Amino acid sequence: MSGYRSTTKLALASSQPSVKAASKQPAIQVSNLSIVFDTNRGQMIAVDRVSFDVAAGEFVCIVGPSGCGKSTVLNTIAGLELPFEGEILVEGSPVGNPRPDIGMVFQQPHLFPWKSVRRNIAHGPRMLGRSAKEACAIADDLIAMIGLKRFADAYPNTLSGGMQQRVAIARALANEPRVLLMDEPFGALDAQTRAVMQDNLLELRDRIKATIVFVTHDIDEAIVLADRVLIMSAGPGRILREVAVNLPRPRSSAILIEPTYLALKRDCLEVIRAEGLRAFNQSDSS
Amino acid sequence: MEIGAEAIVQNKTPKRAAVTAGADRPGRRPTSGRFRRLNVLVGVLSIPLFVILWELISRSGIVNMVLFPPPTVVAAAVLEWMRSGQFFWDVAASLYRVSAGFLLGSALGVLLGILTGQFPVVSSLLSPLFQILRPIPPIAFVPIVILWFGLSEAGKLFLVVWGVFFTVWLSTHIGVQKVDRGLIRAALMLGTPRRQMLQEIILLGALPYIVVGLRTAVSISFYTLVAAELAGTFAGVVYRIEIAQQNLQTGQVMGGLAALGLISFIADRLFAALAERTVWWR
Repeated sequence: MSGYRSTTKLALASSQPSVKAASKQPAIQVSNLSIVFDTNRGQMIAVDRVSFDVAAGEFVCIVGPSGCGKSTVLNTIAGLELPFEGEILVEGSPVGNPRPDIGMVFQQPHLFPWKSVRRNIAHGPRMLGRSAKEACAIADDLIAMIGLKRFADAYPNTLSGGMQQRVAIARALANEPRVLLMDEPFGALDAQTRAVMQDNLLELRDRIKATIVFVTHDIDEAIVLADRVLIMSAGPGRILREVAVNLPRPRSSAILIEPTYLALKRDCLEVIRAEGLRAFNQSDSS
Repeated sequence: MEIGAEAIVQNKTPKRAAVTAGADRPGRRPTSGRFRRLNVLVGVLSIPLFVILWELISRSGIVNMVLFPPPTVVAAAVLEWMRSGQFFWDVAASLYRVSAGFLLGSALGVLLGILTGQFPVVSSLLSPLFQILRPIPPIAFVPIVILWFGLSEAGKLFLVVWGVFFTVWLSTHIGVQKVDRGLIRAALMLGTPRRQMLQEIILLGALPYIVVGLRTAVSISFYTLVAAELAGTFAGVVYRIEIAQQNLQTGQVMGGLAALGLISFIADRLFAALAERTVWWR
């Protein structure tokens, strides 16, 4: 375990000088990923030969209608969905079981209700063999970062949905993951809280330097957050289009009314609309 | 980001503010206060009124005073019971049976509930059997328990354990199965080894269900105690009730019932207080 830790530190240090290291090995390589589910109506192809790379430090959003398999792709990268066809490399090594260098934030916070905010965040480091003291120090740093100092000893059921999700993000970051996977983390929040959370995430991202893959069905959310948006289609899940978001950073939800933003959004919506129509006609005729 | 937190804190404070703000509106508060005071008064009077009514009816001649003795006679019988020294031993014998049976039955129930909840193979093996045995009322086992154990304490223990076990087993089994899969996935992503999942997640996740099962089992252990002591014994609160009935000491019978009710009530309250501490995060 200590060997693994030290290599992580090294990789982190060496990646710092150049943020856009295009020549480097991608953080995530997904090639020809296919996932087939057995349902009571026979086999269903959830994900059909999906391939994409995510560069180290990049923020990629996957957008698509519900049921298009975007969450399945994310769970597979996390090592929670087995078996699958194709190959997935994270930081150069194939995924199998969940790995502590891959962090995950789910749509529901899934905080441990019997642990205080601090002990929830300290859980990961404790499980990786850190002492209680070290783990608490890590937790306290993260609590300060998410602005919940006063709630360090509170239990999750006393927090609002947005606060719970912030704790869930901090908990996922406590193991210093190289890759952070986020599965519609703000989907259950109201619109105002969601906008605040998006700004918070962008702020946080500047400090943690992790590679982020973020799944959402909200095209606005995707463009505000991402360096690159992957648009997926439903039944079977495929990647339809890749859209680079070259909007300046630092960004906030204020860019929602900029012309460049609107042009990007129009592109995305056209792809989604054409695909939606195709899917609708298909389901109508079958 | 602190600002966001403050906004949420402020959202919580208005509840408290609203209570004090009520004092500024003279129209409402006195009315609701008067109703509340009336309710408290009626609540305090509930039991004394009932006792007085009982005393009056018993002594009025409408009913047979030997079969329906007034509270004063019951109280005298209980005092006599205490003075004779039998009360202490009766209560001790009953409490011993209830607590020993409860502890053993719930220990077995929790253990097997975890096993059947966690391992499908164990569940396939045991659950059908338990589901067949569970609906048989424990009291129906009295005759065969007398055949097997005679009038020994082992028979009494068996009945209470039998009654407690199935409730605790079922609630533990369901509790383990209902542990949020999302918590397990989150724990896996944080590097929790699968072999530590039981102690880190599953036991605590199932704890609220287990506690509910245990609390139900407290009253079940008193039901089965009644059956156990009626089956024949030499001391115990229910045994004393039965002896008094045979001697037509109706006052003593009612005193025994009251004592049993009180003990069961205290046990339930104690357990409720304990349960609140066990599920500390609620």
